[in-house]
Amino acid sequence: MSDKINYTEAFEELQGIVTEIEGGEISVDELSEKVKRAAQLIKICKAKLTTTEEDVNKILKELDTATKDGDDE
Amino acid sequence: MSEEINGKKIFSLLEVTNSIKKTIADRYKSSFWVKAEMNKLNYFPKSGHCYPDLVEKQDGKVIAQIRCNLWKDDYIKINSTFQRVLKEPLKDGIKILFLATISFHPEHGLALRIIDIDPSFTLGNLEKEKQEAIKKLQDEGIFRQNKTLKLPLLTQRIAIISVNTSKGYQDFLGKIENNSWGYKFFHMLFPSILQGDKMAEQMTTQLKLIKKVRTQFDAVAIIRGGGGDVGLSSFNSYELAKIIALFPLPVLSGIGHITNDTVVEMVSHKSFITPTDLANFLFQEFHNFSVPVQKAQETIIDKSRRLISDEKTKFHSEVKLFRSLTENILIKSRNSIKEQVQSLFQQSQFLFKNEKEYLYSIREGIRKGTNTFCISAKQEIKQFALTMKKDVASQLNHYKLIVNQNAQQVVQGSRVLLQTRRERVFQIREKCSDKTLLLLKNSYLKLNSIEKNVTNMSPKNVMKRGYSITLLNGKAVKNFDKVKVGDNIDTLLFEGKLNSIIKATTKTEEL
Repeated sequence: MSDKINYTEAFEELQGIVTEIEGGEISVDELSEKVKRAAQLIKICKAKLTTTEEDVNKILKELDTATKDGDDE
Repeated sequence: MSEEINGKKIFSLLEVTNSIKKTIADRYKSSFWVKAEMNKLNYFPKSGHCYPDLVEKQDGKVIAQIRCNLWKDDYIKINSTFQRVLKEPLKDGIKILFLATISFHPEHGLALRIIDIDPSFTLGNLEKEKQEAIKKLQDEGIFRQNKTLKLPLLTQRIAIISVNTSKGYQDFLGKIENNSWGYKFFHMLFPSILQGDKMAEQMTTQLKLIKKVRTQFDAVAIIRGGGGDVGLSSFNSYELAKIIALFPLPVLSGIGHITNDTVVEMVSHKSFITPTDLANFLFQEFHNFSVPVQKAQETIIDKSRRLISDEKTKFHSEVKLFRSLTENILIKSRNSIKEQVQSLFQQSQFLFKNEKEYLYSIREGIRKGTNTFCISAKQEIKQFALTMKKDVASQLNHYKLIVNQNAQQVVQGSRVLLQTRRERVFQIREKCSDKTLLLLKNSYLKLNSIEKNVTNMSPKNVMKRGYSITLLNGKAVKNFDKVKVGDNIDTLLFEGKLNSIIKATTKTEEL
């Protein structure tokens, strides 16, 4: 699941955890699980800031295909 | 001069064109102001002359059209004025108010010669067109459309519309590629010139391309800078502005100029004065994401630690409380048990003592009772033994006497009995011999009588008296029913035998 989560969801979930922990809604029992999850989310978010996955060649290929298909909106 | 052929007056072509030229020259002696639309400037760089194609349109339809001449010197003068006043060169598609003369050239025909153009008219018109474009976009309800799009949390993938070699583009790239925070952007250039007549067309083409791969991008950035303030009027084009307003991605413009905003900038999602400002905005977006993440991390660490430490403290105090409570309870219980033990001990001692005394008294009672009973029983037994002794002695004496008497009687009785029996046996012996003789005599008599009877009863003697015996098949007939008519029978008689056949039978009536 954590592999597929996008950074927006990760960010929102992270904010959720912060709100919960600030509001004292997290018990010691859940704490470990939540902190583990938060660490994952922070990793995802921080990775997003410093990496991109897009590929210019892929986009050019896509453009090429789109043009050939006569997709002219 | 004209000549006559077959009664017809005939002119040469030159004569006609010269005549037209003269007529027009006579009619249009002075110059005059005309307003029209510059359909095509038709500038010839080689000669430096322009041959503008002017039109007048009504509802988009051309209702008048004429070719003009704008000679090199006039063009240079007019163009520099335009650049100064309008920040735009003389170009296609603008409305102009110009001073003209009309002339007719036998070889090139009719033409208007443009002597001067009033830039303020064009400027007013451009401004009017800009206002009209704004109004039209507003009326269509799309003026703010691009602004309603939401930028993602991170505007990271950017489609750039710019010129590869432009300073603005290079500045922008330098900024976003080497930022001190290590933020990483993905960008791709969709090249388009950003001024002049061809701009709207090229930008439209590139925007269409971007639209096709829009899922790969978060936003479009129009980057222009260092080009000065000239040639921006296309940014007021209604058509281009409409494409941008309706564009499915947020459009960020960093066009870089200092005069009033263009319509394109107005409809853009956000507009920045310079490409650098645009880059700073993107960084700020990243900060807006990064800072909360960092803060979240700190908060979570801090709060978690605090939570654990609070919990620990709470736990310790609970343990303390628990210990003191249990100790209290233990002490109380222990004391209570001690008291109970004490009390139990005392009570049992008391009870034992009581029971012991009671048992002593019972034992004493039993002992005394038993003693009394034993003494009396002993005396009773003694008494009884004494009495019994006397009784037994007297009884024994009594029976001794009786036995003695009986023995004497038995001896005497036996003697008498023996004498009697002996006499009787003698009597019986005598009687028996008498009686036997008598019995023998009687039996002899009886036998004689029986012998006589038997002789009388023999068949021979019976038949002598007249009786006969009937035989059927050698057997005596005893039953009447055995003999039928026709049977052969024998009849035995005294001294003979008869043989006969039965003729009839008659049963005797019952006697």
